[in-house]
Amino acid sequence: MAEKMLQPKNVDLRLERFDRRIVYEKCGRAKYISHLDLMRAMQRAIKRAGLPVWYTQGFNPHIYLMFPLTLSLGFESRVEVMDLALLEDMPFEETVRRLDAQMSEGMRIVSCALPVHKHTEITHAGYKIRFTADRSPEECRGLFEEFLARDKIEIEKRTKKKTANIVDIRPFIDVREISCGGDGVCLDLLLPAGGSFSLNANVVIETFFEMYGLECDELCIERTKILIANGKLFT
Amino acid sequence: MEEIRKKLDKILLKALKPARYIGGEIGSVVKERDKVDVRFAFCFPDTYDVGMSHLGMKILYGLKNAVPNWWCERVFMPEHDFEKLMRDNGIPLYGLESLDPIKDFDFIGFTLQYELSFNNVLQMLDLAGVPVLSKDRKGLTPIVVGGGPCVCNPEPMADFFDIFILGEGEEVNLELLRLYEKMKSEGTDKESFLRAAAGIEGIYVPGFYDVEYNDDGTVSSIVPNVPEAPEKIRKRVITDLDGVYYPESFVVPFSEIVHDRSVVEVLRGCIRGCRFCQAGFIYRPFREKNIDTIKSETKCLCEQTGYEEVSLSSLSTSDHTRINDLLLSLSDYTDGEKINLSLPSLRLDSFNEELLERIQAVRKSGLTFAPEAGTQRLRDVINKNITEEEIMSTCRMAFEWGYTQVKLYFMLGLPEETDEDVRGIAELAEKILQLYYDTPKEKRGRSVQIAVSTATFVPKPFTPFEFEPQATPEEIMHKQEVLRSAVKSPKKIRLSMHFQNTSILEAVLARGDRRLCKVIFDAWKKGCYMDSWDEYFNFALWQEAFEENGIDMGFYADRRRSYDETAPWSHLDYLVSRDFLIRENKKAHRAITTRNCKEGCSGCGIGADMGGVYCGGKNASAQKR
Repeated sequence: MAEKMLQPKNVDLRLERFDRRIVYEKCGRAKYISHLDLMRAMQRAIKRAGLPVWYTQGFNPHIYLMFPLTLSLGFESRVEVMDLALLEDMPFEETVRRLDAQMSEGMRIVSCALPVHKHTEITHAGYKIRFTADRSPEECRGLFEEFLARDKIEIEKRTKKKTANIVDIRPFIDVREISCGGDGVCLDLLLPAGGSFSLNANVVIETFFEMYGLECDELCIERTKILIANGKLFT
Repeated sequence: MEEIRKKLDKILLKALKPARYIGGEIGSVVKERDKVDVRFAFCFPDTYDVGMSHLGMKILYGLKNAVPNWWCERVFMPEHDFEKLMRDNGIPLYGLESLDPIKDFDFIGFTLQYELSFNNVLQMLDLAGVPVLSKDRKGLTPIVVGGGPCVCNPEPMADFFDIFILGEGEEVNLELLRLYEKMKSEGTDKESFLRAAAGIEGIYVPGFYDVEYNDDGTVSSIVPNVPEAPEKIRKRVITDLDGVYYPESFVVPFSEIVHDRSVVEVLRGCIRGCRFCQAGFIYRPFREKNIDTIKSETKCLCEQTGYEEVSLSSLSTSDHTRINDLLLSLSDYTDGEKINLSLPSLRLDSFNEELLERIQAVRKSGLTFAPEAGTQRLRDVINKNITEEEIMSTCRMAFEWGYTQVKLYFMLGLPEETDEDVRGIAELAEKILQLYYDTPKEKRGRSVQIAVSTATFVPKPFTPFEFEPQATPEEIMHKQEVLRSAVKSPKKIRLSMHFQNTSILEAVLARGDRRLCKVIFDAWKKGCYMDSWDEYFNFALWQEAFEENGIDMGFYADRRRSYDETAPWSHLDYLVSRDFLIRENKKAHRAITTRNCKEGCSGCGIGADMGGVYCGGKNASAQKR
């Protein structure tokens, strides 16, 4: 009996697989889907689309899906990446079409291609941040410039051991543009992502709000690009 | 509504699991407002995680939305954090599909699944900006309707609802909404509509009945006060489960919910007649779907939702007349699609080994039994047709299969229960433990854990125990002590017992009358809601509300009713006859069992024309269809 129970269910092993890199959009209502929920939603979408996907070969087979970066709850993005594997060499366009038809409001499949870079090659990500607060846009912009002019911006960063480290994040904030638009401020910045050190755009903006005692009214953060070491796009 | 949408964008990220409050899930139905004539807010008076698991809501949501010019939306009780954010930002309760305020809808419908969710109805109406009392809602809309099992005695909620819907909803909901659509276009008012609605079978308008009481506090009469209202309101029954509407897709939530899977209903009603079980009586007669229907619904749902798990739903799946064929046929499909077939409420002993092997190949979980009572005598009292032999033989098989966990469910405070019966619970657990030790080492799993959990019995309307008093807190405490000291192997046998005051409140509300409306209202005003959540339940506030109204909980909870007392629900007809319930009550006190429907009809009062598999002598004596 015991031997029987130890046998994996997925016994028809399929070793040949066709790796695919999917780029998708997560905007609007969909920005409230947490990363964990998103993984589940994608598995179900794949199932509904009837894609011939590769399953993991363990005791508890599940659809193979890899996300190189997580997108924080509340962020929008048109450049999100997920990898999956197919059992047959399905044309890219067909994969896009079938999967896109199963997306919920705010989600869209942008493209499908062969993976080029490894996940570990990711170093940075670009963000567009737009916010309004209880001061005028010009004032906020001035304060943000002052924020950036500091020698050090120290925050507490939790480590895996649940202890807190003090980290100076100033060197990691690479601001490409600051502008005032409408009733808010727009920021364009690059932050370290993936790999050993990453910095959440939320942390930057919240540290700023806190430091100057600003009351945030509206905050929109969009990830705009994912980059590798030489500043090239991750594909 | 743009305004709510904008406000939500500002607050959602401050709430826990915000995906629950914004809709947009796959399978949710969005229509164009100006092409819709009837709007229905289907409210589940508990959180999203709980409500989204409810099958009835999925059925009625799909049913109404299948009509092009009706739009049914989902509404749940927000958690405290989000509720506060809503109030602070002036956001009224809204439908998850349109994000429009539900106070502008034609209907606001609640499903009453358990008594402790009653106050959430008031809280949700208030959050919606709708007066909680029916008499304060003068306009035609919103019409507040209620359905679900608790509607078999909705009297404690009578003041808050305009309409109750008795029994199964698939047909009567359509009839009610069609009538409304027609009358609304002719320019009706609330009173006229309610009078017309009262003529539909299964529709109960509580405002059209006057209740009188005797000096001793019992009900003396319940009489209609308009000609349109029938003296007795009969519950609705779907006679053909193969022909009735079943959704082709579910709303697939993003965040994890309690039952996150496809669910296919295989049968309704139950043949067993356990005397404590309300579901076993109010959902009669026993009807089933044929295998082809179940198979095609399973396939369709799995394809439409992408769920990798499907669960068969019923009160007792193994009572399907062709259960073996059904499971073989289903597992052919689910195995191929790598879908996990989960089978709650199964009696393992009825299967051959090959079938067990196929099903168990998926995922192995613990084994669960509900003997409910510790001795055969008491199981006979409650008519729980499971013998110690059956439990033992299944456990033996399970241990040989490598199972290491057995869960046992019992009730304390059953009628006729003695200390001996309570000790019997521990003895049964010890015997099962011994069975594990007797299993050859090479076959059994490495260690064993037996979980014994006891709940307090709550007598419910339309059961043979509706006449019985609930055990008092002192009695329950004594029984718990007896049980605790009877367990000899506390390391292997884990006891979990709770007598919570929630059981008392549940007992009071379950058999309450209209005088409790005021108590519920006052308790709600004091801040009582989310009562089924331990962290929010506040019994002291409830007690205050009862005291201030001069109402004794004991009158409702632990008083024995005589057979000739007029029950607060005596104007409601759930087809099971009162004579039958009295007969069953008398047999219970003599520990005499009643055969199940399959073995032969016991004359519960359900007519042969209700679609019951065994009704009217059909298929009796274990014949297969």
